[in-house]
Amino acid sequence: MKNIVIGRFVPGKGFLYRMDPRTKIISLVLLMASAFVIRNFTAMFMAIGFMALLLVAGRINIFRVLSGLRPLMYLLAFTFIFQLLFNTQGDLVVAWTLHYSPLNILMVTALVMLWFFTKRHVKFKFFFFLATLVGAVALVANLRLGPAFATGTLDIYESALTTGFFIVMRLMIIVTLSTVLTLTTKPTDLNLGLESVMSPLKVFRIRTEEMAMIISISLRYIPTLLDEANKIMLAQASRGVDFSEGKFKAKIMQIVSLLVPMFIISFKRSDELANAMEARSFVPGQPRTRLHQLTWGLADTAALVVSLLALTAVITTRVVM
Amino acid sequence: MRIIEIDNVSFHYKAGTPVLENVNLNVDKGEWITILGHNGSGKSTLSKLLVGLLRAKQGTIRVANVELSETTVYDIRKKIGIVFQNPDNQFVGVTVRDDIAFGLENLQVPRGEMIERIEQYAQKVDMADFLNKEPHNLSGGQKQRVAIAGILAMETDIIIFDEATSMLDPKGRNTILSMMKQLNDEGVTVINITHDMKESLYGDRIVVLKEGRILKDDTTKVVLADHKTLEKSSLEMLLPLRVLRALEAKKVDNEKVRSYLWQLSLTG
Amino acid sequence: MAIKFNRVDFKYKGDDKKGYLALSNISLSIQGEGEFITLIGETGSGKTTLVQHMNALLVANSGSVDIYGIKVEKQAVKKKKIRLNPIRKKVGLVFQFPEYQLFEETVLKDITFGPKNFGVPEAEAIETAQRVIRIVGLDESYLDRSPFNLSGGEKKRVSIAGILAMEPDILILDEPTSGLDPMGRNALLKVFYDIHEKLNKTVIIITHDMNTVYEYAKRVLVMRDSYLVYDGDPVDLFTTKNIENWNLDVPDILNLMHRMEQDLGITLTSRPRSAAALTNALEEVLR
Ligand SMILES: Nc1ncnc2c1ncn2[C@@H]1O[C@H](COP(=O)(O)OP(=O)(O)OP(=O)(O)O)[C@@H](O)[C@H]1O
Ligand SMILES: Nc1ncnc2c1ncn2[C@@H]1O[C@H](COP(=O)(O)OP(=O)(O)OP(=O)(O)O)[C@@H](O)[C@H]1O
Ligand SMILES: [Mg+2]
Ligand SMILES: [Mg+2]
Repeated sequence: MKNIVIGRFVPGKGFLYRMDPRTKIISLVLLMASAFVIRNFTAMFMAIGFMALLLVAGRINIFRVLSGLRPLMYLLAFTFIFQLLFNTQGDLVVAWTLHYSPLNILMVTALVMLWFFTKRHVKFKFFFFLATLVGAVALVANLRLGPAFATGTLDIYESALTTGFFIVMRLMIIVTLSTVLTLTTKPTDLNLGLESVMSPLKVFRIRTEEMAMIISISLRYIPTLLDEANKIMLAQASRGVDFSEGKFKAKIMQIVSLLVPMFIISFKRSDELANAMEARSFVPGQPRTRLHQLTWGLADTAALVVSLLALTAVITTRVVM
Repeated sequence: MRIIEIDNVSFHYKAGTPVLENVNLNVDKGEWITILGHNGSGKSTLSKLLVGLLRAKQGTIRVANVELSETTVYDIRKKIGIVFQNPDNQFVGVTVRDDIAFGLENLQVPRGEMIERIEQYAQKVDMADFLNKEPHNLSGGQKQRVAIAGILAMETDIIIFDEATSMLDPKGRNTILSMMKQLNDEGVTVINITHDMKESLYGDRIVVLKEGRILKDDTTKVVLADHKTLEKSSLEMLLPLRVLRALEAKKVDNEKVRSYLWQLSLTG
Repeated sequence: MAIKFNRVDFKYKGDDKKGYLALSNISLSIQGEGEFITLIGETGSGKTTLVQHMNALLVANSGSVDIYGIKVEKQAVKKKKIRLNPIRKKVGLVFQFPEYQLFEETVLKDITFGPKNFGVPEAEAIETAQRVIRIVGLDESYLDRSPFNLSGGEKKRVSIAGILAMEPDILILDEPTSGLDPMGRNALLKVFYDIHEKLNKTVIIITHDMNTVYEYAKRVLVMRDSYLVYDGDPVDLFTTKNIENWNLDVPDILNLMHRMEQDLGITLTSRPRSAAALTNALEEVLR
């Protein structure tokens, strides 16, 4: 539970921390847009390189970001496999005949068993799972042990690979960028930044301050909810729930017994939060002074220029090529 | 001068189970009132009514001559600060600093002064070293101190403390109480809800609640000696008086000891 | 020896890389029966952190805690080598904030949660709930209410009931009397003392109330700034140690005795630890 980092601010040093939240928000939007526009490999690899550079230069713990991506892994894998199976455009890259013979199936079963019993000792469980999956398919495709009682085909087209790759990369870039934003920006600053960035919307009579407050409180709420879940888990553990118990059914039951109180308690909490804010003279829409002030620095201008350049670059390459 | 007038107020969370019934209470400016009463007697509920977080089902509340209503509640809140019973319910900011700032931002205190006040009050409650910590990662007593600082910094005319010192160590509690005393001397009206009988010695007056009704409203001296009333609301007398009464019951009569214990029970 | 701390350090992972050292080099033994311990010390000294190690809710960074023969260590817990459930059954912990402990929809469900988890049949668990809700000074009508819509003191009582229902061998209470009205406090202290006396169980109470310490404790632990600085007799603590340094205070009874000695020249022959005993001692002298 504690590994989920989306929405959580982690204090630290590095230039990203010192940057103006407005810059970060605008750059985030520009870079995300760039990621969507990219259609060629060189650009994508450059983008990935750029991300890596950003993380390194910003002195951000890469493992933190990776573990933030973890919950997304299965979604990504699913998207990719979906593409592989159903996208039939472009050249045929792989055309395997799958042999379903008793011996083959026995081998696959053995492989799965091996995976099942060793997975708890492996560090990168997800990659282990993927490797097993790929291994199983490769087995069925390449080994011809004994007579097959049925055969199938596995055709993979070029476009499936490229589209899958781009979708996965884009999602990863977007999630990484947003994680970097929340990781390096205090919620209060984020709030200020959002408010300021959205302030042109005032022209359309949108109450930007409240919107910013809503966004930042909901962002803040993700870690609070996790803390809440954590507290409930402690309370349950101390009264005999064994969270280390590995049985699938037991796990499901535990999650259910966590969800109900989480809902009740979250409602109660938001009520109390509103009370606390009101009792301290918070009135929605009223002007407030601010402890935190935003300061625009050279780095901010530079960051904006770089992001803008990135976007123009990808757009031009796409138009030209 | 009256600063709070509670006139015939009743309240219930669920129809049929009254929590406060026909409460009448007046508080003068600069007074220190202690509210005592058994668990569930309605103390916290009363305090929430005063700041307009709950609306009375019957009766009126006036603060500084303004009747509490939907339109006046915002102005009234600028005059009353409340430290909640559970400090966790009070934290809005992500760091201790931001949390103390929150109320000041709402009162539109200029930034320079805000920074000063945050320093000053964090120091007063002895939490200056913790300004960058997350409030949720503090110990129980530290949370209470931060909650207190957040309200004190707003420098309101009236402050309600709802069991605000219940988790402080003896020294910390004394520090906070003498701070409250100092504020009171400067003219701040203090309403202190507590279960610590000794704390009530700081105040001028004690209000005893029982099952949502005011059982007794009198000077500190009178109430602290009123064994019957205290017992009815699950309270107890201070130690010297308890000993004195026990000696009397045993028919041990020593005038010197008697008057000494009596004296002690009023000065603490 | 039921619980044994061996050179325990604990750090909260914190805002910076260093973390926050909350326990330093704690060594300590607690018997499985017959102890009545109070744990005191200034705000933030590490009391809550210490007791959370006693039922393995927290695990030491270095050193180890032995709980009923199970060695609770970082590595072992991480690899899920040990089962913590038996520990939780034997060592019951009431949290400092009842809000952190209550999570079920009704008080009844909350109190029966523990017993049911340890295999007590539903009917029996409900009976237990009906019994303990009275022990903590509430009536059965509370069983159907939501624990979130109670007053502060009522929540506290329910959270205590939830642990009493588990009937643990060692009962640990983190500031159980903060927020209770005076008579409720006295009554519950009596309940804890009875559990200790009649069932010969070990009870550990964290408190800031020196009177509780003086009147009930057989052994006192004092924490200061992450260190355990005193482990011994309560009377010694208040009469021979420089307690001001530890942010502590003199208990009312001792205070009253001192003052009467100073101002009235009344010296008692015994050392009473309760108001009743003090009265008796005074009666003896004054007659
Ligand atoms: N949100 C709520 N919904 C329903 N009933 C409530 C709610 N909050 C409190 N009550 C009930 O109202 C009564 C008064 O509660 P209140 O919190 O005012 O008591 P209190 O005097 O502050 O007690 P304590 O000393 O325990 O803090 C209690 O009986 C309680 O059960
Ligand atoms: N979750 C946490 N993260 C970081 N630091 C923490 C956390 N919980 C407690 N601390 C710090 O560890 C220290 C010890 O805390 P602990 O809660 O054990 O104190 P305590 O003795 O119980 O105090 P109190 O009497 O106020 O409840 C405190 O200084 C506190 O700020
Ligand atoms: Mg209350
Ligand atoms: Mg504590």
